[in-house]
Amino acid sequence: MKKLGEQLHRISAWFAVVGGIVLTAMVVLVVISIFGRAMFSSPVPGDFEIVALGTAVAIFMFLPYCYMQKGNVAVDIFISRMPPGVQRGMDVLAATLFGVVAALFAWRSVFGLADTVRNGDMSMILGFPVWVVHPFGVASFALLAVCCFYTAVETFGNPVEVPGTAAEAPETGAAGMPGGNADE
Amino acid sequence: MSSLQLALIGLAVLIGLLVIRIPVGLAMLAVGICGYVALSGFDPVLAYMKTAAFWQFASYEFSVIPMFLLMGEFASRSGLSRSLFSAANVFLGHRRGGVAMAAVGGCGAFGAICGSSLATAGTMARVAIPELERYRYSGSLATGALAAGGTLGILIPPSVALIIYAIAVQANIVQMFQAALIPGIIGLVGYLAAISIWVRIFPESGPVGARATGPERIQALLDTWPTLLLFVVVIGGIYFGIFDPTEGAAVGAFGAGALAVWKGNLDFEGFVSCVKDAAKTTGMIFLILLGAGFLNIFMALTGVADQLSSLAAASGLNPYVILILLLVVYLLLGCLMDSLAMIFLTIPIFWPIMAGLDFAMPEADLKMWFGIVVLIVVEAGLITPPVGINVLIINHHAPKVPMRETFIGVTPFLLSGVVRVALLILIPPITLFLPHLLM
Repeated sequence: MKKLGEQLHRISAWFAVVGGIVLTAMVVLVVISIFGRAMFSSPVPGDFEIVALGTAVAIFMFLPYCYMQKGNVAVDIFISRMPPGVQRGMDVLAATLFGVVAALFAWRSVFGLADTVRNGDMSMILGFPVWVVHPFGVASFALLAVCCFYTAVETFGNPVEVPGTAAEAPETGAAGMPGGNADE
Repeated sequence: MSSLQLALIGLAVLIGLLVIRIPVGLAMLAVGICGYVALSGFDPVLAYMKTAAFWQFASYEFSVIPMFLLMGEFASRSGLSRSLFSAANVFLGHRRGGVAMAAVGGCGAFGAICGSSLATAGTMARVAIPELERYRYSGSLATGALAAGGTLGILIPPSVALIIYAIAVQANIVQMFQAALIPGIIGLVGYLAAISIWVRIFPESGPVGARATGPERIQALLDTWPTLLLFVVVIGGIYFGIFDPTEGAAVGAFGAGALAVWKGNLDFEGFVSCVKDAAKTTGMIFLILLGAGFLNIFMALTGVADQLSSLAAASGLNPYVILILLLVVYLLLGCLMDSLAMIFLTIPIFWPIMAGLDFAMPEADLKMWFGIVVLIVVEAGLITPPVGINVLIINHHAPKVPMRETFIGVTPFLLSGVVRVALLILIPPITLFLPHLLM
């Protein structure tokens, strides 16, 4: 279980770095395009299409890492005053809900990919096949879902890890969690 | 059940989810999806979800956000912050409270090449805290000045918060950037004034620093040229329409990265760490953006915003009273949650209310004026208890100063902020002058 966690951390970090390299490539592309426009009055044609698609790839690939780094902001102030057991229950609930939503998106994105391939959607100016971006969406949402469910199980199964606080066993998990297998 | 009731139930569930620490973006997504299903049935929602995320993310306009975030990460690593602080320090350091003033000035200048308040506060703290400790500044003034100084970046362009607001109300990003500059500078001046009054009341809190010689001053000023160049190219280019915001962000990210490499502060490992930090913030923002998309569809189907708007217009209350009430709500919310999340969450409901009131100005102007005032109030949330993210960051860099003292230290800056908001509400041309001039 712990090993799976390490793997997920590593894979999500890889996703983020690959996304970051794509983003950086978009930055360079735009700079080249501006340079071309200024010097030779010939910008990279249709650069904005590539930038939009590239940015989408990057953002998709950032999502799992953001989750694993607990980067998604939440309102902490009410729950942080609750006993650790309640907090843990809520964290399990949050992770499960996140997992369900991410799995839902992963599932639907598969159909989005299929539709886009079937329709042969192209970008307007360059005729770049749009479907190329969608697999990144499917993979990222799927990875995100796995990360969420892992976190849910991990949080649920772990004894209270707040340093210096006595573990309060009886209360744990009392804050019911809905069936975790609701995803498709 | 009427759709209005459904909207209110949805909002109540949303608040409930937020209270139990469900991430903001996820809560918006969940409520948005469920509400959409309740009003339209499963099939349209499932069909919409196939490509909803793609269309939300594959946007040339929105790519400005990750690019400015990347620019901020590179800038934080570039070592440019040190030269900015030194330049401010050689001019201000010999005054009473001068080193703290230099920290605020450095924050303002760094905000001009970094879009994130948090990164500005953190970066400047690394440089300024040791100096402030060396001159025996009181912990509350030192940390308060830095925490407050970081918030200046929210108005001084480029600013991610400004972009998010512009997206939320569908305003022109360029005009928002133009509108924010003068209020941002007024904020800087107001903070300096706050320090100078503070050290007059508590002289021992901000001792005088060393006096610099003329040549030292000139040298320090010359050392800031990379920052100045970056700001002039990026923001100047955007202001005068030489390039659009995305192009400006790309040039900025490229420039900041190049400067960091040139200064020897960015190797491959550093690049990876910059990219990861940008990834974390980008992921957070775009999850909320995705959630806001669904929530907005749900709310639009219920028509709740129109109802609220006509309710507000029919209430007979003075528009300014309603504006103040909204700002109070922002102030309270700011105590609880992240500023970007707050903008996404509230603007779809609050903006129609504002738009329905008569402030005797065109809608484009109203967007800018309201936005600037809201952002100033929102930024106060970064330095007020109990959450105060900037205060947490500064505390991390100055562990010797208890958090309580920092919260005391930000008080004069908050008061200065109140004066600024009053000024901007009473005199809209302060905000609107520059966009009108450059139009």
